[in-house]
Amino acid sequence: MAEEIQKKMQKELEMFSGVQKEYKIAVSQKQQLDSQLNENKAVKEELLLLKKDAEVYKLIGPVLVKQDLEEAKQNVNKRMEYITKEIRRTEGHILALENKQDAIQTNLNKLKNNLGNLKISV
Amino acid sequence: MAPAPGMQQIDLSKLNLPQLAQLKQQVDHDLQVFQESLQALKIAQGKFVDSGETVEKLTPATKGKTILVPLTSSMYVSGTIADTDNVIIDIGTGYYAQKDIEGAKDYFKRKVQFVTEQMEKIQVLGIEKTKVKDAICMMMEMKIQAQSEPQKVS
Repeated sequence: MAEEIQKKMQKELEMFSGVQKEYKIAVSQKQQLDSQLNENKAVKEELLLLKKDAEVYKLIGPVLVKQDLEEAKQNVNKRMEYITKEIRRTEGHILALENKQDAIQTNLNKLKNNLGNLKISV
Repeated sequence: MAPAPGMQQIDLSKLNLPQLAQLKQQVDHDLQVFQESLQALKIAQGKFVDSGETVEKLTPATKGKTILVPLTSSMYVSGTIADTDNVIIDIGTGYYAQKDIEGAKDYFKRKVQFVTEQMEKIQVLGIEKTKVKDAICMMMEMKIQAQSEPQKVS
């Protein structure tokens, strides 16, 4: 009986560390997205400050390609929209993982208690 | 018990030693992140200041003067400055914008200011965190002493 519980605990622990790993990845992903959003915000502000006839270039590989200012603005806006969506998605993911962690934790505690009771009764 | 983000009221005296140790670890980690951020910001600030100073040197008098243009970090070709009125600035995410000298000066000034503000913010947060850390350390010492004393008596 005790062995069975221990086996179960082992399994839960493995699951826990797996979820924890996933959680860490998700959090760093969100951080990266946040910094990308911030950078895009700064670029957008800068583009808005430019004069209408200012030349804008986009770095594509090693070359600068001239771009229309309006087009650049639209591009940045689109990218910000996309990043914001991604952030929301990642946040949902993080929340789900947190819940999973909590569930495993309660399971583990239950198993631990079971094991403790078993030892006492033995 | 969980290390929640932001400021949170926790009565340190109610925590036990392992909890305090965990909290201290968390705070240490936060402080380290602050340090790293400060360092990164300092580098960014240096770059903007550098660029700002370089823009100052680009006056109409430098028009037509020869310079060495770096093709790589160790190879140069000679060139002449054809346009002393406009510069092209990397504004981030792969976009480069043409600005006149005044605009460029203003850009770097704003960037330096922005970065400096961020650094000040982090410094304030760092000081707060250090205070929290000191409080945790003190509490840990007290708990350790309290734990060892009854053992001496018995």
